[in-house]
Amino acid sequence: MARSDSFRGSTSRRDFLKLAAAGATGATVGAGWRPREARAKPAQITFMRESSYVKEFDEHFKNVLIPRYQQETGIKLSYEIVAAGGSAVPRTVSIVESKAPVDAAWVQQEWLYREGLLDVSDIAEEVGRQQGGWYPEIKNLSVWGGKWKSVPFGNIGQTMVYRRDWFDAAGIHTFPDTWEEFLEAGTKLKKAGHPYGMSMGHGFADNNSWLLPLLWGFGGQVVAKDGKTITLDSAETARAVDYVRKLYKDACLDDCVGWLDPANNKAFLTSQISCTNNAMSILISAKRDLPDMGKVIDHALNPKGPKGRFHSLVPVTHGIFNHTPDPEAAKHFLRWLMDPKQVAAWYRSAFMYHAPFLHAYDRDPEWDKEPRFKPDLRVLETGKLVSWPAPADRKAGEVVNKWIVIDMFAKACTGVPTKTVIADAMTGLKVIYG
Amino acid sequence: MTQVLEAARPAARAVPVRRPFRLREWLEREAVFSWLMLTPPLLFLLAFLGYPFCYGFYLSFVRRPVAQPATFVGLGNFVNLWHDPIFWQAVWNTFRFTAAATVFKLAGGLGMALVMHQNFRMKGMTRALLLLPFIVPTVLSTVAWQWIFDPGMGMFNRVLMYLGLVKQGPSWLGNPTLALVSVILVNTWRGLPFFGITILAGLQTIPGDLMESATIDGAGSWQRFRYVTLPLLMPVIFIVTTFSIIFTFFDFQLVYVLTGGGPANATHLMATYAYAISMGGGQMGLGSAAALAMVPMLGLVLVAMSSYVRKA
Repeated sequence: MARSDSFRGSTSRRDFLKLAAAGATGATVGAGWRPREARAKPAQITFMRESSYVKEFDEHFKNVLIPRYQQETGIKLSYEIVAAGGSAVPRTVSIVESKAPVDAAWVQQEWLYREGLLDVSDIAEEVGRQQGGWYPEIKNLSVWGGKWKSVPFGNIGQTMVYRRDWFDAAGIHTFPDTWEEFLEAGTKLKKAGHPYGMSMGHGFADNNSWLLPLLWGFGGQVVAKDGKTITLDSAETARAVDYVRKLYKDACLDDCVGWLDPANNKAFLTSQISCTNNAMSILISAKRDLPDMGKVIDHALNPKGPKGRFHSLVPVTHGIFNHTPDPEAAKHFLRWLMDPKQVAAWYRSAFMYHAPFLHAYDRDPEWDKEPRFKPDLRVLETGKLVSWPAPADRKAGEVVNKWIVIDMFAKACTGVPTKTVIADAMTGLKVIYG
Repeated sequence: MTQVLEAARPAARAVPVRRPFRLREWLEREAVFSWLMLTPPLLFLLAFLGYPFCYGFYLSFVRRPVAQPATFVGLGNFVNLWHDPIFWQAVWNTFRFTAAATVFKLAGGLGMALVMHQNFRMKGMTRALLLLPFIVPTVLSTVAWQWIFDPGMGMFNRVLMYLGLVKQGPSWLGNPTLALVSVILVNTWRGLPFFGITILAGLQTIPGDLMESATIDGAGSWQRFRYVTLPLLMPVIFIVTTFSIIFTFFDFQLVYVLTGGGPANATHLMATYAYAISMGGGQMGLGSAAALAMVPMLGLVLVAMSSYVRKA
């Protein structure tokens, strides 16, 4: 989906600089802590996040933002980092359940605990107004019951990551534009000893990020917009399943059907595969540790299907827990963090790994430093939440966490007939949706 | 005579022999001392085992999404699981995983103990090294196993290709059958030392006289093992197998790190599925029901096993 017309092309680099300057001025004026009463000032704010695959991102927070916040407000800022790879959601669930002393966090899979989050509409709307407006799709996650339950931050762009040298050697000089061309190219590459490695295991990003867009591109949908009607069993889904089975057989490394999220990074960086769907972490690691490989890696958008081109969002949003002892202090922190004075440099510290959901950054100069990261920006235009077109609610979350759609494709790759895998997935969906 | 004694009693009561209270003597009374020793572990168990178990039991009868109040649903969660094909696949996987891993650990552990019972050079060091799989944290060793199972660079496939047995190694974690075999293999590797060392301890308690008598009576080494060693080891084997079944049935870390229950749920165990429902899906009640369902199933296995051993 193209971004909203009201924002299209409305923010030039000069506009952005003006906005940033305005924000910086506002922040400078308003950054100082203005307590309701002197004694109410909290001693500490605790902010929890999953560790970033780009280490510079966490380092920037620790080395720049924490000292700045402490200096400006006199409040200690504690940064709790949870290991990446599946620990953050259980940790957040336990924070909500046990009312652990954490004030704000990256609220992954927030549909699980929206009731435990504070209304942050004032912050989100102010930040949106100040910085060019929000991309519309993210509102389907952050706004619930007419209130913003989280403030969007950025999307971890999942795109096709491929070895340009091997594609060139196989006579493929531009990345395949359609899924059919993608299969054709993969067949050639596998014959040349460079198979694709498309994750289909029980991970949380690298599987959904290509299988869901593929399903949508073929015209299949899991659940309708009403969030109740199961729509998976269709001719379009059957065609998508048949396609994935053929892609796996003709173009992929056998192992990828069981891969967790780190596995494709490892396989790519050890030259076992020529293409996968991943965030920019592979290119960042290669540039840092394997410079020769770093020169021949490129990124591309997902191919398009008969119904168009889709991407799956991996959104990062920040929320405040209801149980925070001082909601005003926690909100002050989040407002301060999302101020351009802070947030712009934080985005840039990770080379825009978190593509901002704010249009003010569409033309940020940082995007020009590494053109290969630019597809991540375009993902925001065609990106959908994993629940799409259904609302991002608990039931949609359960579908994701039971890997019902992913396993439908994975089973097909292991030889189970199309009708059976769709029927199995339908049984699983009926258990959830009743 | 009785009358005399009866007559004497009131007088005795009237003048009781009062001994001064001595704390040490009081503490040394068996009833007091035993409770004194029992209380700390009992409190510990109640706090960290009893409370979570009772809370989990309660949760399994309510609908309790994260951050929402509970609604009593009776057996609703269990009915939901009954109709859930993934749950039944996890149950089937759990039984296969536990049975295969326990048999392999028992056979391997017995062999390991018999070898360790012999005298040879560097026996002490060898025994210590054999304990390594048990000592290394599971998550750490499982990450190492991920590398070992890697199709291109993993040790297994490299060895197979080096020996010329295959042109291209199999996908250990990508093929559903091999993935289950792989998690069984890793569990067996990790649990072998527990069997080996415990059975070795049992072996060392068998009196040498019995072996000598059997030898004098003409028993060969197999007969000595079959008719002397094995019967005397049975109590130890029973205990170690029981413990192992419990540990294996509830295994979580290994599968969570190695496969996440995939591919296509081929390695999902009841523990990993319960975790996925409750912590991933946010359905605390349903997840607790899936976890609680393990208890009667495991109980039945243990009861059947213990009655079989008694009959034997």
